Amino acid sequence: MIKFIAKRLGSGLVVLFVVSALTFTLLYTSSGSIARNILGDQATPEQVALKEQELGLDQPLVTRYFAWLADALSGNLGASWFTSEPVASSLATRIPVTMTMVFTAMILIAICAALIGVAAAVKRGWVDRVVQVGAIVGDSIPGYVIGVFLVTLLAIQLGFFPATSTISPEVGPEAWVYSMTLPVIALLINGVTGGAQQIRSAVIKQLERDYVRTLRSRGIGEREILFKHVLRSAAPAGLTVLSLQLIGMLGGVVIIEQIFALPGMGPLAVTATGQSDLPVVMGVVMYTVVVVIVVNLLVDILNGWLNPKVRVS
Amino acid sequence: MKLGPKAAAAALVLSASLALTACGGGAGAGSNAGAAPTSLTLGTLRDITSWDPAQAHVGHALQPYQAAYDTLILREPDGKLSPMLATAWKYNDTNTKLTVDLRTDVTFSDGAKFDAAAAKANLDHFKKANGPQMAQLGSVSDIAVVDDDTIDINLSAEEPALEYFLSQAAGLMGSPQSLGTDAIKTLPVGSGPYVMDKAASVKDSQTVFTARDGYWNKDLQKYKKLTLKILTDPTARTNALVSGQVDATLLDPKNGKQAEGAKMKLEANQVDWSGLLLLDREGTKNPALANVKVRQAINHAFDRKTILEQVMLGQGTPTSQPFGKDSGAWTEELENYYSYDPAKAKQLLKESGFEGNVTIDVPTLPGAETLISVLQQQLADVGITLKPGAAITNTFTADVAAQKYHALFFNLFQGEPTVAIDQIVSTKALYNPFKNTTPELEAKIQAVRTGGKDAGKLAQDVNKYVVEQAWFAPLFRVNQMYYHNDKVNVTPQAQQAVPSIYNYSPAK
Repeated sequence: MIKFIAKRLGSGLVVLFVVSALTFTLLYTSSGSIARNILGDQATPEQVALKEQELGLDQPLVTRYFAWLADALSGNLGASWFTSEPVASSLATRIPVTMTMVFTAMILIAICAALIGVAAAVKRGWVDRVVQVGAIVGDSIPGYVIGVFLVTLLAIQLGFFPATSTISPEVGPEAWVYSMTLPVIALLINGVTGGAQQIRSAVIKQLERDYVRTLRSRGIGEREILFKHVLRSAAPAGLTVLSLQLIGMLGGVVIIEQIFALPGMGPLAVTATGQSDLPVVMGVVMYTVVVVIVVNLLVDILNGWLNPKVRVS
Repeated sequence: MKLGPKAAAAALVLSASLALTACGGGAGAGSNAGAAPTSLTLGTLRDITSWDPAQAHVGHALQPYQAAYDTLILREPDGKLSPMLATAWKYNDTNTKLTVDLRTDVTFSDGAKFDAAAAKANLDHFKKANGPQMAQLGSVSDIAVVDDDTIDINLSAEEPALEYFLSQAAGLMGSPQSLGTDAIKTLPVGSGPYVMDKAASVKDSQTVFTARDGYWNKDLQKYKKLTLKILTDPTARTNALVSGQVDATLLDPKNGKQAEGAKMKLEANQVDWSGLLLLDREGTKNPALANVKVRQAINHAFDRKTILEQVMLGQGTPTSQPFGKDSGAWTEELENYYSYDPAKAKQLLKESGFEGNVTIDVPTLPGAETLISVLQQQLADVGITLKPGAAITNTFTADVAAQKYHALFFNLFQGEPTVAIDQIVSTKALYNPFKNTTPELEAKIQAVRTGGKDAGKLAQDVNKYVVEQAWFAPLFRVNQMYYHNDKVNVTPQAQQAVPSIYNYSPAK
């Protein structure tokens, strides 16, 4: 197992390196004109030249990339070109907001999708039909539309929740809960409907397998068959779906954070990318890659734990 | 227990409503901001990049600085300049030296005293800090301390807008010890009506200020607490306003409808003009644009009134001139200089010899796709092809400077005469990338620069020249739509989409 984890971590580092080099190269071409963007449309060419020198934009690509890499390896991700705020501190204040939201949504999705998916697979009939229809409806309504709908109904009309985030040090933790409720609901509806559908299929597939028939013929109870055998075998499919949803959610959360004005990674990523604020974009990309690597690793480990067959292969 | 479909549905509805009621226990937890008349919460478009006063910008990007910093000169809502930290100011006979008398009873939030040395330190810092508005003091050669409460600002060339600049970014005064330090980037140290509460502020989410004890001018300090909530997304701003989270914010025509539905009040103000910039006037890349008749034909092709009504929901005023109403350069006769006259446009094209042979490439301005396609249609009606290209990107300003575009559709700020001239007309202007000029125009520009108090009037000649020569095809002055609730009175500020911080007061 340790060898497996080490191997996964090693390949993760290679991915991290390759993605950083590619992103840096892509951004390099457009960063030449950043000085002008920072200074605005009334800046003189002399001002622009001075700023370029200040930011090291007059250096060639390779020099700049390795300077960034050396700094990054020593834990220094640089500072935003526009705000001078250190990238590490930007990430440190924003990652908790986004991660709280994503992980809360993910846990709820896992619980709800599993319950609904298994119920649909086992009961079939009308429960199954509702889940099927729900999956189509859920998949066809984007999260941000749900977000706007929730704000209009629950925040503006009924006043149950704040329309935009009220997260700040002057208010207590309950403000976090209030601020996060609507965004989390907006994020999880697609996940629950989509996840339930996938888990349903996986469970049905297992229920139709020969070993289930054999177990039944030996007089083993349905409950035991379901919880001890079927769910274990169906788990890898479910986990894969959930991990894909989590990674997809890193993109979806960007729009949700904009709608609810949450100070998370989304607005930072959008602003920094729009401005070609290279140090910040690099920070955001590194964070995303690390999350993806960690999530995949966790899913592999969980799969191995749940299903010995996976460990062997 | 087995549940039938109806029972299950009922249980679901019941549990959902219970959940809602439970959550509703704290109803309005986040909407108390602005409830008390002693606090003001504003929705702003973006967080500022640095609290160093030399990094301040114009318009809505100036407002946060006004909370923490005083300016030397106060700009009243109608644009009139009044004393603030400067009690009086006077030019010498040649307009090359401005002598400024200063207040003696003002301290900064760190306890330092405001005096002539502090004012000089600020202006010197502004000149070398390479901020976005550094050009405001471009013609200042040096600043001399005359005595404790007087400075001389010496100019290398006349600058009619200098007094205006001293009411803007260049006039913001920070504590001299803090200037140029890293600390002032995140925590302002000024003499303004409010001090920032850093503990309650969250970068890119909200900035909280509290009233400064013993502030010298109580008339400008109308609230005990001021919160600037950063709401980048217009939908989020609208939701925050109608749900009472913010007292006032800037919206657009589409979102404005929703705000009006919620009985919010509108303060409309014209700050930008919108239209085509016909940049390649010597035909370096597009020979047709060198012909004044082609440029005039373009101007006659547009039915400005209908476009405004249909595309902009009527939020603006049709115009043929690029200079704004508050600049002094605006004239009635130029307002409808180019009437909607397709026949005349066709005639002009015929006379130019470019009939059926004019193609104009413009980049696409995100958000203006509909407008550009309407322009395309109207130009096609007179025989001109408008080809919208790729959307502008974050390299836009550099692309303009590099002569990438020979024409473009854009919205531009209508500033003071010299500001506008150096933005769109003079050879220094970013939006004159081909450096077009004539001796006649140079003489008119020079007259404005040395015109002192008459600069606005003299700029009318520059305005007339660029309108007659059809340097641009302006369409309309766009309404900036600033909405507020009934707890606050708001006075719009000339040439600013967002009012100055002094323009808000509790509604009685």
